[in-house]
Amino acid sequence: MGHKSHLTRITRGYTEFSYAPIPTKFTKFMRKCIIYQAWRWIVLNIKILRIVAFGHS
Amino acid sequence: MARIVVLGSGIAGHTSAAYLRKWLNKSHEVVVVSPNEYYQFVPSNIWVGVGRMKPEQIRFKLEPKYKKWGIDFRRAKATSIHPEGGDGHEKPFIQIEYVGQGKEGQTESIEYDYLVNATGPALRFDKTEGLGPDNGTTVSVCNFNHAAHAWEELQKVIKKMEQGENQKIVIGIGHPGATCQGAAFEYILNVYHEIDRRGLTDRAEITFLTNEYEVGDFAMGGAYIKYGGYITPTKIFTESFLAEREIRWVKRAGVHKVDKEKIYYETLDGKYHEMEYDFSMLIPAFSGPGLKAFDKNGEDITSKLFKPNGFMVVDADYTPKPYEEWKASDWPEVVQNPDYKNIFAPGIAFAPPHTISKPFTSPNGTKIVPAPPRTGMPSGVMGKIVAQNIRDVIKGKATLDTLKHKASMAKMGAACIVSAGYGMTNGMAATMTVFPIVQNWEKYPEFGRSLTFTIGEPGLAGHWLKWFMHYMFLHKAKGYPFWWLLPE
Repeated sequence: MGHKSHLTRITRGYTEFSYAPIPTKFTKFMRKCIIYQAWRWIVLNIKILRIVAFGHS
Repeated sequence: MARIVVLGSGIAGHTSAAYLRKWLNKSHEVVVVSPNEYYQFVPSNIWVGVGRMKPEQIRFKLEPKYKKWGIDFRRAKATSIHPEGGDGHEKPFIQIEYVGQGKEGQTESIEYDYLVNATGPALRFDKTEGLGPDNGTTVSVCNFNHAAHAWEELQKVIKKMEQGENQKIVIGIGHPGATCQGAAFEYILNVYHEIDRRGLTDRAEITFLTNEYEVGDFAMGGAYIKYGGYITPTKIFTESFLAEREIRWVKRAGVHKVDKEKIYYETLDGKYHEMEYDFSMLIPAFSGPGLKAFDKNGEDITSKLFKPNGFMVVDADYTPKPYEEWKASDWPEVVQNPDYKNIFAPGIAFAPPHTISKPFTSPNGTKIVPAPPRTGMPSGVMGKIVAQNIRDVIKGKATLDTLKHKASMAKMGAACIVSAGYGMTNGMAATMTVFPIVQNWEKYPEFGRSLTFTIGEPGLAGHWLKWFMHYMFLHKAKGYPFWWLLPE
């Protein structure tokens, strides 16, 4: 049985899915919002460059 | 005039060879010995495994590249190291057996002044009965051939789902001590993405099967990330990713056998389980390639240079000690063999002092703990510092006892981008950086790592980053203009 339909028939409690946070619709939207993600692309590049700068002696 | 022999042409070996050739004039020889015809950008094998890239997009032929650069390329596997010479050789040498270049089966000795052992892992599907695409029933994404085959098999599963059949998909770790949990996690997310965009999730029961104590361990003991007003373990983020997609997970599992219908595994509580599957990708155990070593009298000294797992002994602290006594200083800084100091082992080839994750053993005596990961960035950095150190010794700026360039995994960070689906407008990836890779509890007593430099963030930007890095690192590996300006 496909896992999605299985979950709709049982309660969410007491399965491995019960205790994990699920993103809200807004969070999912922001993860794929091109304007916001373009800004995050810049920020993440800077954060990665910081790690590279500390990479080795 | 020095001869530097590099064994292996992966990220560590290729990086070492490229920098050595750049920095040393032509009076010094750089020789690469590798059985591989191609360089492959391993991180993109995941996308080959879901049909988003073809093998030709992630690889290039080594021989013409090395010829252009003035590197002597031998398409062969090394079989033994003779660090003291012997058998008529005054200098140390290696023994190789050709697998290509029209010399298949021929053996040869190559003397060296410096040896860079960057052989990477041997994929030990044989350590789990029934595992693997060649002699078993599971697929693999560990190299581009395997990944291309995985995509062929996945397409058959997708077709069955399109025809109304339900399919059980199990992706994860195929041995109690295997590593590369991040790669398995990436693959399951990408497989889900391909199924989801075809509207077939109702037909798929997808399970992540792992030897991690908790998902999100990623063989590095997990990490803590400051996000949304909390300091949250990666367990929570990883579970969220899986739960959002209704992918089940089974943790603390040591797979010991696979047949065409079921996966057999033991969990840390000592219980044995079976799991049915229609399509499965399970990462195998790794070991060294099985190199032997002999002294000048022909006596076997393999155990002096290599640990039983086939990885090379380096400047690490191998003193057996309990988890509570592990230190950052256990990890090597220059990946140099302590007995034969002109031998180095960057990347996966060096023997780690212990795992990064805490080891656990089941009541049946099965050790279920991920082996330490050595991802692309630290492998490349180690390859570079080995080249820097050899260059400095050759030019008289250092000695083999006073190497200046260091790259301990307990003192450097890594960036890792976990793809969660390919697509320039609907793709996603989790961008992670950890600093340091191996926890340093003395420096960071509360969380083991810097909270400033350990970050994690999912989003479309991560996919753009991973896509960009694919082309950037291939530009670097191919030696295109200004390749040496790009970071490892």
